[in-house]
Amino acid sequence: MALLEIKNLHAEIDGKEILRGINLTINAGEVHAIMGPNGSGKSTLCHVLGGRDGYEVTQGTITFDGHDLLEMETEERAVAGMLLGFQHPVEIPGVKNIYLLKESLNAKREAQGLDEVDTFTFMKQVRELVASMDMDDAFLHRGVNAGFSGGEKKRNEILQMLLLEPKLALLDETDSGLDIDALKVVSEGINRMRGEERGIILVTHYQRLLNYVEPDFVHVLYQGKIIKSGDKSLAHRLEAEGYQEILEEAS
Amino acid sequence: MRKELPDWLKTAMPETAAAPEAIARTAREQAETLGLPGLRDEEWRWTNLRAIQRGQFSAPIGVGADIEPSIRLPLDNPLRLRFIDGVFEGVPNEIPEGLTLSALADADEDTRQAAFSPTPAPSVENPNDALVTLNTAMAREGVVIDVAANAVIERPIVIEWLDGATESVMSHPRVLVRLGQSSSATLIEHIETVGEQPSWRNSVIVSSIAANAALTHIALGLDGARRLATERTFVSLERDARYHSHNVQLGGQMIRREYDIHVGGSGAHVDLIGLMMPRGKQVLDTHTRITHAAADTTSNEHYRTIADDAGRGIFKGRILIEEDAQRIQAYQSSNNLILSDNAEIDAKPELEIYADDVSCSHGATIGRLDEEALFYLRSRGLQLDEARGLLIAGFAQEVVDEIPLVELRDWLTERVEQRLGERDTADDEKA
Repeated sequence: MALLEIKNLHAEIDGKEILRGINLTINAGEVHAIMGPNGSGKSTLCHVLGGRDGYEVTQGTITFDGHDLLEMETEERAVAGMLLGFQHPVEIPGVKNIYLLKESLNAKREAQGLDEVDTFTFMKQVRELVASMDMDDAFLHRGVNAGFSGGEKKRNEILQMLLLEPKLALLDETDSGLDIDALKVVSEGINRMRGEERGIILVTHYQRLLNYVEPDFVHVLYQGKIIKSGDKSLAHRLEAEGYQEILEEAS
Repeated sequence: MRKELPDWLKTAMPETAAAPEAIARTAREQAETLGLPGLRDEEWRWTNLRAIQRGQFSAPIGVGADIEPSIRLPLDNPLRLRFIDGVFEGVPNEIPEGLTLSALADADEDTRQAAFSPTPAPSVENPNDALVTLNTAMAREGVVIDVAANAVIERPIVIEWLDGATESVMSHPRVLVRLGQSSSATLIEHIETVGEQPSWRNSVIVSSIAANAALTHIALGLDGARRLATERTFVSLERDARYHSHNVQLGGQMIRREYDIHVGGSGAHVDLIGLMMPRGKQVLDTHTRITHAAADTTSNEHYRTIADDAGRGIFKGRILIEEDAQRIQAYQSSNNLILSDNAEIDAKPELEIYADDVSCSHGATIGRLDEEALFYLRSRGLQLDEARGLLIAGFAQEVVDEIPLVELRDWLTERVEQRLGERDTADDEKA
């Protein structure tokens, strides 16, 4: 059974159709990159998968790990193992990082029928992860993303993923706006998440990330449809030739 | 424009008061002329005194000293100054060196003169000052807090306003706080309702902070379904003095709190931090006025309101920078959260700047919970209710975090969470 199966997905916002028939299958153990120019529907796809209000799915189905994803609330998707990494992680100044991490983990454990995590084990694990993401412990007691630089916010997204160990990680432009050092740390984090049990979707505007995280499949999204799929060489072609040639070829 | 003084208030006017005779006599005459502020007074557009007007309040008769607050603040060895329905219960026994506490009634003429001559001086043109004038005319109870030069008073000085112990009682207490040069002290107002009775307290605190001294002033309005209060604080700062105010209002039928801050010496700094959480039909109102009268002074103001049910929150912050007060930094923000369709928030910043070398900013926001933030938390697996609760608590926490006493900060964090928890329960019952 596929981890994620999107069939003929059509979605609109404010009556405007953005996704026009997307078909995509992702199996555990695979890393997929979805690339596309601005306005191609990349963010809409992430939002629809995340369950954000305001998008209407007019046709098609999404099956995640055997569940009808479109019937699930955002938080149900999360505890079922689908985690969305935000393009613009939200600043929440009054809520401490450490608190959010713990509550998220416990929400997932509760859904799995497990007891709450014990504080000692949790703190130990979190500290190790913080160090591995080249972050400072002090960050744990600051507000969620509050006053973080762009790079810090993206590291924080990966940190959450590493802790929550989703079945499917959906990373929306996690590489945008990162300097090369932050990109390396973030990429290493993503590579650590790779595994037999886990699917990863990298939604990205730039080919650069794919030099650090090698995808198994690359898809080109254009005007709300996947117009071409291939292996990592497709990403190199995009980098070398730009979108235009591939768009023409596909049409 | 103004409402005439109700008869019950006229007849309650005492023959003798704590103010020096000449001041009291003038105040009595003025109080009759001024009456009570009405809705047409610009400063009272959002808050009315109808409940007071109709209240038929009478002067306290004194109910004895066996009334204790039911809420315990986590304070280290506090010096308690207890007022039950405005009647002062006396000064504590052991008072640290450098501190003098005395009942206002026992104070000498000069001290009483000071207690009734605040800086900035109230003006009869200002409708707010009708209430100060009324206090001057009627005050019989009060306390004087004197901190000697260079004294550092570690123990918090706690004024306990225990209101509502007896039926429909009003009180007009007056407090004088004087900090000598380079001294420091912490003043906490513990405001609690100790009975079900309606009450009205019209209290005035007059404080002066000498050069290089620091006063931390925390007001905690903790509860009260039928508590009415009109509270006024005057503060004057000399050079390099510091005043940190933290104003938390969690209850009361109608609470109007006002601060007049006169920043009169260079290098002086003021922090005004506030959190108001009206719910039910509560009206919680704070007006602040900061006057930068000296160069190189700074002020930082940060108020937040969370209005629920049919609660109303009002914040008006005025900053006046005088002509010769150059190189001023004044920052004000007022952030407000509305949780229900029937709740209302009025926020108004007012800047009046006559100097030219000034860095001054203000911002007011009124809104509902941030949808982006809700989505973010839910995308991490948090239930909608929990995410909402977390965001509301987080919104309050940002101002709670600015309380300089750690134990009190932690205690208030829990108290606010508890308040918000009650909200969830209430919602469940409705559903």
